[in-house]
Amino acid sequence: MSTAIATKPILDVRDLTKSFVLHNIDGRTVTGLHNVSFAVAPGQHLALAGTSGAGKSTLLRAIYRTYAPSSGEVWFRLSDDSVVNLAQISDPEIVALRGRQIGYVSQFLRAQPRRSVLDLVIRAGVSRGMNVADARELGILSLRRLNIGEQLWDVHTSVLSGGEKQRVNIAAGLISPPRLLLLDEPVSALDPENRESAIQLISELTHQGVAVLAVFHDLDAIARLATQIVVMQKGRIINNGPVDQILPLLHPGDVQP
Amino acid sequence: MSKIVIPDSVLKVSGLGKIYGPITDGAIERTGSHVGTARDSQTGSIVAAWDVNFEVAAGEALGIVGESGSGKSTVLRCIAGDIDSSAGDVRLATFENGESNLLSLDAATRRKMRIDQVSVVYQDPAEGLALGVTAGGNIADPLTAAGWRNFEGIRARARDLLQRTEVPLDRMDDIVRSFSGGMRQRVQIARALANNPRLVLLDEPTTGLDASVASGVLDLIRGLLEEFELAAIVVSHDFSVIEMLTERCIVMHHGRVVENALTDQLLEDPHHPYSQKLVSAARA
Repeated sequence: MSTAIATKPILDVRDLTKSFVLHNIDGRTVTGLHNVSFAVAPGQHLALAGTSGAGKSTLLRAIYRTYAPSSGEVWFRLSDDSVVNLAQISDPEIVALRGRQIGYVSQFLRAQPRRSVLDLVIRAGVSRGMNVADARELGILSLRRLNIGEQLWDVHTSVLSGGEKQRVNIAAGLISPPRLLLLDEPVSALDPENRESAIQLISELTHQGVAVLAVFHDLDAIARLATQIVVMQKGRIINNGPVDQILPLLHPGDVQP
Repeated sequence: MSKIVIPDSVLKVSGLGKIYGPITDGAIERTGSHVGTARDSQTGSIVAAWDVNFEVAAGEALGIVGESGSGKSTVLRCIAGDIDSSAGDVRLATFENGESNLLSLDAATRRKMRIDQVSVVYQDPAEGLALGVTAGGNIADPLTAAGWRNFEGIRARARDLLQRTEVPLDRMDDIVRSFSGGMRQRVQIARALANNPRLVLLDEPTTGLDASVASGVLDLIRGLLEEFELAAIVVSHDFSVIEMLTERCIVMHHGRVVENALTDQLLEDPHHPYSQKLVSAARA
């Protein structure tokens, strides 16, 4: 069990394998992850690198249980210091952890078309156990930090631009810092200025002790945020080390979406 | 032992089944998803639902998906008591401390329990509403059934509910038949909330509505489920409805549950061959 490790990782993934059985395409099996093992400690930011199809997003989804792991263990440390295997716990337990202890921000906004920007962010906070007043206060704070001006707060999310949606998504995802944050290209659609604010915000969370596991498609974001880099290829980890050791080995093509 | 706190379940359904026609030995084996039919070839009986098990917590909505005739509405109607079940055990934590199987209550107790605790929102408002009666009158009906006698009190409650469901108050004394489809559905939802139910059963609540109207009704339902911490079951063949309202769902096929999953997992990583077909058809 992970308790033996001195740094006490928040996430400890062991031999995680994910296969998809495609019943309606001649029953073939496609394996997206092969025996993946790594750990992320509090305050560590682990960037996943690798070309398109390497298995980066698959890994994030398998940890969040959007994909059901086929074998292996995904140990997650709760706030009371006990550990649970995310690959095994029940669906209601996963629902209880999502948003509260495990955050997931992707490049796509999964939002209800008729919900206003501020309402969406407030509800994200409320679903994490905040009262409405606190959620409102913190929501407004993070929307301001991400340059979502007041004139957009009561606008329905469906009319926002791609970059605005992405920032609202980040604000909603970060309103109450989870213990583990999974980021799937969260800044990919942002212009330089907004990208800068988002990167700042993510960096602060890491400093607050959140464990981050992220996929970015540019080396600059990785250089500025990551403490650790895991390089993947064809569903396997081929390299794992501190950012100063791995970064010099990477080419822009190694982090393409 | 995991230390994750999960909400207690309000509804517990075990071994629920409904068979139309004679029940003979082997009827279960001769039907179901793996056989490809719900109809027993020997007797012609229809095994509309069998061995259905799930739990729903307060503040949680469970989705039931599947094609027409898969048994999803049957399950809903068995729980509501609209039809008699052939087998099973259904308990509500909020009714007699969960010590009674709702399926074996006598008719009078069952009716009373239904009025106090369980509401259904039907696809067709004509099933849940008296179309020739006013919006206010439709809401007054469950209130008087629950023992409300004060006219002004009933009017005030009806006004409050119509306001919450965004029905213009100046339409309160118009008969429901004069309302649009979306507005009828809002009145049905207002009526369903009249007695502060603990469990709400939604049977294709937005099917047949225009997309823009449907999204408004869905948004309303979602807000109300959150606000009142309701336990809900949402039956729909429309994945966007399931995705918007639920975190977990079950898939039914020829009367059987073939998959039980997190909603995002069902959409991204369905396991059962039938679920894979259903999801890829919906995504096409």
